[in-house]
Amino acid sequence: MGEFVLSWVIVSSGALVRRRKSSARLLAVLLWALPSFLLGQTDSSDRPVPILTGSAGLFASGNGGDRELVPVVMPVILVPLGERWLVEARGEFKGEFEKPAGRGSFGGPVEKELDYAELDFIANANATVTVGRFLTPFGIYNERLYPVWIRSLQPVPTIFPIGSGSSNGVMLRGGLPASPNANVNYAVYFSTNSTINKLESDRLAGGRLGVFFPRQRVEIGASFQQLLQEGRYRSAGFHFAWQPTAAPLNLRSEFAWSGEQGRGYWIEGAYGLSQISQWQKVMRHTEAVARVQQFFAGGITRDTAADYGLPIVNAQVLDLGGNYYFRDGLKATASYGREFSSMGNFHRWTIGTAYRFAFPLGRL
Amino acid sequence: MASKSLICGLLTISLLAGVAAAARAGKHNGAAVPAPVQPTLSNDDLRLEGEKRFRANCGRCHQSPHKFPPRMMFTIERHMRVRALTTEEDMRLIVRYLNQ
Repeated sequence: MGEFVLSWVIVSSGALVRRRKSSARLLAVLLWALPSFLLGQTDSSDRPVPILTGSAGLFASGNGGDRELVPVVMPVILVPLGERWLVEARGEFKGEFEKPAGRGSFGGPVEKELDYAELDFIANANATVTVGRFLTPFGIYNERLYPVWIRSLQPVPTIFPIGSGSSNGVMLRGGLPASPNANVNYAVYFSTNSTINKLESDRLAGGRLGVFFPRQRVEIGASFQQLLQEGRYRSAGFHFAWQPTAAPLNLRSEFAWSGEQGRGYWIEGAYGLSQISQWQKVMRHTEAVARVQQFFAGGITRDTAADYGLPIVNAQVLDLGGNYYFRDGLKATASYGREFSSMGNFHRWTIGTAYRFAFPLGRL
Repeated sequence: MASKSLICGLLTISLLAGVAAAARAGKHNGAAVPAPVQPTLSNDDLRLEGEKRFRANCGRCHQSPHKFPPRMMFTIERHMRVRALTTEEDMRLIVRYLNQ
């Protein structure tokens, strides 16, 4: 198993192994050594077992006149250690294949990212300490909704680049019951600056505080982030989620503001069609989704906006879509949207399939 | 100066949260020795409570997953406690429900 993990680390690190051998060696040795330690303690049937999980998808998309074929694989490895430790890492391999004029086949680059590679120590019921590379806890999309098998619409929200991404440093987080009908969750973190290929991060500090009301199934929260380099910009955000018990509806929303990048919001509703009495066999597997969003551009240059993946001008986007769940973890998805801005209005669409996999890396 | 104040503030919040959490954990010894959850409830009640919390917590982000073997569930439980910041009691009831 140790060799398997080592292979995975090397494959997922890709260019990192070539360009930054010392960092990759350190990571590889760490992840290789941990399963060896683990093997001695997995005899009992109630011990957690290491897992290889993640998601994969294949999508065709159109954005104005551009068409792309986008295969995505996001492997996640989970290695529990003892009673309180967890090593977890996620890689992301995403192709952006276009069909050049005059040629018959799609081709293009494959993006390779190490989204997170972290060591979690569950200190007690209410606090977990995380060190390493972790998903920046800003809003809810980055940490909870990003995997292709989870997101209701495949295009990410326009404001997604604000405050999100990955950070390298230390984080304290947890969830605790504040009352019989209110659970508080929090995360505070510090990240250091890194320019290492595939391990880039900014020097920043921030936090997020949320409250979940289980009886009403409502969650509200706020995020804050201070950049500690260059322009020392601040970012702030709010999130809201509601799953009413009376209907199979999932309503989510985020607002984000950045002193540099601009501000915006999105509101998304996903409605399961199980309440429709006709064609029950199909309807109970089907979900209709709608999302509206608005973005107000900040004072950044065209190149900087392109680096962030943000529009250079104000924009409004409406997306309508649907998901059909064949079974747990396997769905077909399609969406159509239209973006309105002073740069011109254009259509965008996506169709594809997403799959979530999970395999044990040990005896069950 | 402002950034130093921010870092000091964050560290203070972290320390206070850690101290508060440690104080709470002292009552039931953290993750190592889980305390019994509402021991007066019957198995059926616990299953229903687990299902309710499963739908309330897990359904916030994704469709209901199928049940995994118990040893995989224990790993997923640890992952989701960190990722989704679910409380320890919620997670214990959810795992109990999913392992039945």
